Amino acid sequence: MAIVKWKNPKLYDPWADLRSLQNEINDLFNYDRMPGSTGLFDRSVTPAIDFVEGENDYTVKCELPGLEQKDIDVSIASNVLTIKGSKEDNREETKGKYYKKEIWSGSFQRTISLPATVDSEKISAQLKDGLLTITLPRKEETKPKQISVSVK
Amino acid sequence: MERKKEIENKTRRFPASTDIYQDEEAVVLTMEMPGVSKENLHIKVDKDLLIIHGERKSEETEGHYKIREIRHGDFYQEYTLDDTIDRNKIEAAIKNGLVTLKLGVKESEKPRKITVHVK
Repeated sequence: MAIVKWKNPKLYDPWADLRSLQNEINDLFNYDRMPGSTGLFDRSVTPAIDFVEGENDYTVKCELPGLEQKDIDVSIASNVLTIKGSKEDNREETKGKYYKKEIWSGSFQRTISLPATVDSEKISAQLKDGLLTITLPRKEETKPKQISVSVK
Repeated sequence: MERKKEIENKTRRFPASTDIYQDEEAVVLTMEMPGVSKENLHIKVDKDLLIIHGERKSEETEGHYKIREIRHGDFYQEYTLDDTIDRNKIEAAIKNGLVTLKLGVKESEKPRKITVHVK
């Protein structure tokens, strides 16, 4: 193990600017706005998700801008969560021309296997401003338990 | 020290996925801004500059992130408008995180049909 000099985070770091610039440039390459069309399903991209393992529940967030409730299908089988849906192409006009076309359309599917079984009766899903939030409460027996140590 | 604070307060900004479509009547911008509500969308026209800022309350969910694909930060994009855009005919709408911005083209810039009279 190497000994690393402790850094006081409260001190002003003159390299912070440079590092943030470096991060921003790296982000440009990492951020996939136009991913290729590979995979099994009939889709070009999948929506971005966040999966958070909390103490009492799991939270899944999914970016679905422009979608309505009827377009989204969320299902759970044992401990596999599936988010399905299709995003309609909203362009009708053909008179004009497109300068930029970054928004994708088509059907998508995301499957997440949950680390433990959840209480399927208490799952709630909420769609707000194009952001889908699914809360899956953990079953009592799978929650981390605090074991008190008694000293004799 | 002040400068350090400034860096800390600066939230990450990136442009939203955008479609830009133009026909004879208007230039239509469609932007994907999931998580941005009507109250947090700020659209400003400053002379030739069109500023679109979709503020997002970065809600960090408590717990351990197993998958993190959603970029946290605000949507921010600036566009320069040319003289063909009528500044008084800009309409914006947001629905389910999808922003539609209609920039009307000036009457004088629209293509006109000239009827040919035969004498």
